[in-house]
Amino acid sequence: MSGAPAISTAGLGKRYGAKWALHDCTLEIPRGSVTALVGPNGAGKTTLLQLVIGLIQPSAGQVAVLGGAPSTKDVLPRIGFVAQDHPLYRNLTIAETFRLGRKLNERWDEAFARTRIARLGLGERQRVGKLSGGQQAQIALTLALAKRPELLVLDEPVASLDPLARREFLNAVLEAVAESEMTVVLSSHIVAELERVCDHLITLTAGRTQLAGSIAEIVASHRVLLGPRSDAGSVARMHDVIRESHTDRQTTLLVRADGHVYDSCWEQHEADLEEIVLAYLGYNPGASASRSAAVAS
Amino acid sequence: MTWVGWRLQRTETLIAVGILALLAALLVPTGLNMSHAYSSDHLGACLDFQRSPDCAGQVGAFRDRFQSLLDLANWFTLVPGVLGVLLAAPFVFDLEHGTYRLVWTQGITRGRWLAGKLGVALVAVVVAAGALTLLFTWWRTPESRLDGRLSNGVFDSTGVVVFGYTLFAFALALAIGAIWRRAASSVTVAFVAYFAARVFVEYKIRNSLLTPLHATWKGIKQPPFINNAIVISQRVFVHGHEVARDGGFFGGSAKVAVPSSPATQATVHFTYLPASDFWPLQLAEWGLFTGAAVLLFGFAVWWTRKRIA
Repeated sequence: MSGAPAISTAGLGKRYGAKWALHDCTLEIPRGSVTALVGPNGAGKTTLLQLVIGLIQPSAGQVAVLGGAPSTKDVLPRIGFVAQDHPLYRNLTIAETFRLGRKLNERWDEAFARTRIARLGLGERQRVGKLSGGQQAQIALTLALAKRPELLVLDEPVASLDPLARREFLNAVLEAVAESEMTVVLSSHIVAELERVCDHLITLTAGRTQLAGSIAEIVASHRVLLGPRSDAGSVARMHDVIRESHTDRQTTLLVRADGHVYDSCWEQHEADLEEIVLAYLGYNPGASASRSAAVAS
Repeated sequence: MTWVGWRLQRTETLIAVGILALLAALLVPTGLNMSHAYSSDHLGACLDFQRSPDCAGQVGAFRDRFQSLLDLANWFTLVPGVLGVLLAAPFVFDLEHGTYRLVWTQGITRGRWLAGKLGVALVAVVVAAGALTLLFTWWRTPESRLDGRLSNGVFDSTGVVVFGYTLFAFALALAIGAIWRRAASSVTVAFVAYFAARVFVEYKIRNSLLTPLHATWKGIKQPPFINNAIVISQRVFVHGHEVARDGGFFGGSAKVAVPSSPATQATVHFTYLPASDFWPLQLAEWGLFTGAAVLLFGFAVWWTRKRIA
């Protein structure tokens, strides 16, 4: 069991009516990684995560979590999940919320929960509904962490938070990762800050995955090419051109290239992660280069 | 799970207790008054349908004093519906507020969560229904001795049907809420539907739940067998020709509309449910509502387990 990846999916799909919210998704997330799932709103991120934790059932394909089927009593206690907008019972106090966690989980680290609340400067008798959005997110995270999960799944955890609360939340995740072997998957439509937290990345657009792997490898395998205005055809024969943009004099290409691009016409630069991710989110492998060029320029 | 179930159900349960307390505050003093009047006026001696003229006066006095209260109390037949839908609200709140995503991703499965949560609610529903039926059965004792127990007012608020009604309202709100996921709207619609179902059953179904008896009676006196009975139909024949047709509940004071002349030749065919059918009829109606409740409950659980994410 411990050899199994944290998450593995094969041909995973979810259909609502005639529309596929997630289509033919095959990926593997290794244990111990911190993976960002990036995509625009409506790309299927929530669908993928809800399939992983078993809140919904797939229409096609398989998903295995920690070597087992999601939402079974073997797997559930080992997963921590914070849903979008971190739902909590608003009329419960913090202490009651923790009691709920203790009652509903075999494993529950009460000392951890209490310490975190004290450090956040919150009183246990405070009602959850009276807390700020950032504090509620922290309570939801504490609830998920106190069950000492092997896999922590966060669905858009910081989308509704202000920049300060966002930073504090991600720091709390980082801290928890540092002191355990926990695997983390978090979805986001915000690319900034992810590099600080994550070591793996998956992009999802219109229900399909494009890019999946370790951030170091992703960055290493992409190059920005700068050159005089020209057709990208010669490069495209050798490498995937993810995005091209043109000015009057100059052409900029983002290419996927394992290793060096041996073409003296082009000036080469390292690509940064945000650039790569944004290029992929607008990338459609079926579309013609001229269309993506039109969009880019 | 029991603590969690209770904690998340606490507010609604306390409101239900409040409603019952309010009801008790109204019913206990008036009920004591009524039973006091009943015994001090020796109405117990007037139960035989062939009453002495004295009795008519005493019974009339009792009615004058309490009839408006008894009529008012007929509205309390809505209370099982109120309590039922109220206690279903926390289940729908979970779906409305998205907190089901929180609890279904803790260490227990969806099935166990539903069993715990709905189990606690179900206990509250049954206890509330029990309290209601005990309170009403006691309160309506003098009335049911005078008028029998098959009048709508008594029948609807005593015996076991109250359990059926409350469970039905509860399960209906669960089923509507599982689909709609809006607590206030679901509960309101469930209550209206509960009321409609009650009216429909009372006026269209109840009389056909049991096989009625048939009897023929000659003369103008009220036949003893229809005392406190539900008369489904009453056909008056004179010389073989039907001259009148009627039906309804015949409480102690009701009179059959037999033509006074030529009364002696009149023959009346009765189709009726006798007073002794109270418990069979109670069980039948309880079964009808409880059966519907079981189906709705099963649907709500199935829908929640399979369809909701």
